[in-house]
Amino acid sequence: MSASHEARTPEELAEQWEAEKPPAAGPLSTAAAAAVVVLLGAAVMVASFRLGVGSVQQPGAGLWPLMIGAFLVVSSTVLVLTARRFDDAERFVSSSWLVLVGLGTMVLFALVVGTIGFEIPGAVLAFVWLRFLGKESWRLSTIGAVAMVVAFYLIFVLALQTPIPHLF
Amino acid sequence: MTVLVSYVPTPVGDAAFDAGLDEAARRGENVVVVNSPHGGATVDADLVDEAHAQRLSERAEQRGVTVEWRRDAHGDDVVDVVQRVADDVDASLVVIGLRRRSPVGKLLLGSVAQRILLHVDRPVLAVKAPA
Amino acid sequence: MDYSSVIQGFSVVLQPENLLYCFIGVLVGMLVGVLPGLGPAATVAILLPITLNVEPVTAIIMLAGIFYGAQYGGTITSVLLRLPGEASSVVTVFDGYAMARDGRAGSALGIAAIGSFVGGTVSIVALTFFAPFVARFALDFGPPEYAVLALLGILLVASVGSGSRLKALVAAGLGLLLATVGRDGFTGAERFTFDSLALTDGIDFVPIAMGLFGLGEILYNLEDRSGRATAPPKMVRALPSKDEVKQSSGAIGRGSVIGFLLGILPGGGAVLSSMAAYAYEKKRSKHPERFGQGAIEGVAAPETANNAAATSSFIPLLTLGIPANATIAVIFGALLIQGVTPGPQLITEHPDLFWGVVNSMYVGNILLLIMSIPLIGIFVRILRVRGTILAPITVLITLIGAYTVANSVFDIMLVCVFGALGYLMKKFGFEPGPLVLAFVLGSLLESALRRSLILFDGDPSGFVTRPISGVLVLALVIVVAAPALRALMTRRQNRAKNEELV
Repeated sequence: MSASHEARTPEELAEQWEAEKPPAAGPLSTAAAAAVVVLLGAAVMVASFRLGVGSVQQPGAGLWPLMIGAFLVVSSTVLVLTARRFDDAERFVSSSWLVLVGLGTMVLFALVVGTIGFEIPGAVLAFVWLRFLGKESWRLSTIGAVAMVVAFYLIFVLALQTPIPHLF
Repeated sequence: MTVLVSYVPTPVGDAAFDAGLDEAARRGENVVVVNSPHGGATVDADLVDEAHAQRLSERAEQRGVTVEWRRDAHGDDVVDVVQRVADDVDASLVVIGLRRRSPVGKLLLGSVAQRILLHVDRPVLAVKAPA
Repeated sequence: MDYSSVIQGFSVVLQPENLLYCFIGVLVGMLVGVLPGLGPAATVAILLPITLNVEPVTAIIMLAGIFYGAQYGGTITSVLLRLPGEASSVVTVFDGYAMARDGRAGSALGIAAIGSFVGGTVSIVALTFFAPFVARFALDFGPPEYAVLALLGILLVASVGSGSRLKALVAAGLGLLLATVGRDGFTGAERFTFDSLALTDGIDFVPIAMGLFGLGEILYNLEDRSGRATAPPKMVRALPSKDEVKQSSGAIGRGSVIGFLLGILPGGGAVLSSMAAYAYEKKRSKHPERFGQGAIEGVAAPETANNAAATSSFIPLLTLGIPANATIAVIFGALLIQGVTPGPQLITEHPDLFWGVVNSMYVGNILLLIMSIPLIGIFVRILRVRGTILAPITVLITLIGAYTVANSVFDIMLVCVFGALGYLMKKFGFEPGPLVLAFVLGSLLESALRRSLILFDGDPSGFVTRPISGVLVLALVIVVAAPALRALMTRRQNRAKNEELV
């Protein structure tokens, strides 16, 4: 990787941005996402009938959700049918797994914060994000994770006195 | 064969660059400069801009040495990039700059120079900054 | 107009606490604008919990400061690093970076600061006279007008937004759906709660905004998409010369007008206005070839316009209760949480809040002008902090913040769920903005619609026969039909062209 050629004109710059864009996933992924929404809309419509649609003069609890469900079904069906015109979805890449790991640390935080406080799950989250998702060094990750939790303790527990569950 | 210089824009880095230049001229080899930014950074103070790199390249040119710049980003350890580039260009020598680190700084960041000396399997020339 | 309440507004702003929060807001906004990764909507969303413990007026003053501070922060990276920190600064890159390369970074940033200040101030003055007029007009609105207006707002944001129109509509539909979760206000029936006690009162706005905008963006950035790092830019602390100011004064004037007008339109906002102002300057210039080569008007016009638009986009919020873009939608949500419903009554019922917020923008713009140039060195330094270190800090702030809103662990879970949804939406090419906007307008839209139906005794033609709602319906039809018509026209033109070629 040598010194990159510098884009000079707006056109070159736009081209460069275009080239750096993440790989597109193609229309199939738009169609799949839209199909999920079609099913969701259909389920909403069924549930709305159960809630009671009422009449136009006396709208029931289900009338508005029924309209939304119908709108979702119609708009997503159009989306499925015209999906080949869309190329704005992005392909999942190998680093997409990192997102799942990141989400996992957050869910873990949410699951245990009520019982053991925020310090341990917070430090684990910070460490995983620094070391494995951010590829920082072991040293910096360890020190960073501890420093962050200490700082958060000082700010949220001691200074702001928020009721966030804490161990110490 | 090539002389590899690990460069950062500091006096120590300049000393390493000059030493690498001397050594390359003596051996009749060319120089590859590794100037590696940290991955994920937007602005990295260790990185040299075009004009600066141009100046250094011209200085080498005058002594009949051509310089190739390598700016591969590094992850958790810059030593990996040095090793990789050294293998890539089959370096005959790796030139690094040494500087004093406070004990605290060493604890926080560790010593890159020390790890290059120990882990890169090429001859290493360590240069100190001019006093 | 009632001038005493305008002056009253100044006394609200000048309270030390409000001044402090205005300062914090502008500073945080600039910081976030500088740092890549988080947009203004995400920042405002993440900081929502902080605003819950202060007075509504103070909260909105700070959030507004973040909004227009971010506009200027994005300029700094556009000019110095060719990285638009915000979408509204993309066009600034062309001439701003060219100027920086010629050693005129100081001029570019200086003129951007002056332009932002002028554009913002012009917009506030116009807002001061224009907003009460709109609000008075809107006082006569009944449920039918509100129903159509809310629908129009959602449609406009969906159709002018950056992504695909159809996808934006689907996202808006999801937002409306989420707004129905919980007990129905009319019949008391529980809808889509899945027998969960936590969902009985509906889904809170804060976890939705924090998750979709905040965590969604952070998760999205986890996929390695960081560009190449740059060497620290050389900052030449030269202010723009007299000639340069003179040269760009016309662009600043026109940028103010374009920004103000486009900012009022729902969906218009800062991004669209900066592009329009740049295109207009280039078009009317005698030497359009200078643009992209470091023309100072190419920096002045878009930077003036985006700040003017950021300010004027408060008009539909404060007078009609209709947010014009994603960031304003989050501010709308903040007001609702505070128990203040923005709308035409705001100016008469809460004059201190209305004029406090409006007048705080003068102070904010002055702060922006004073702080921008001296702080650039610090901002460039902050850019050295790696995103990999900022990300866990932001995540922890978000998770802890989500908890503190209602002291509920369930809300942390919700934030995670919406974070995942936000990430997936981005991956599949759906903008989260229309969803959040539709969510905040959802319950208003539903109750207005149901009230109207009862009012009309089930006859939907009432929407058309009432004069104001009739006009709004017409606007609605135009918004829906215009893109389709345009597509048809271009297709026909292309066909004509093809036939000529044959």
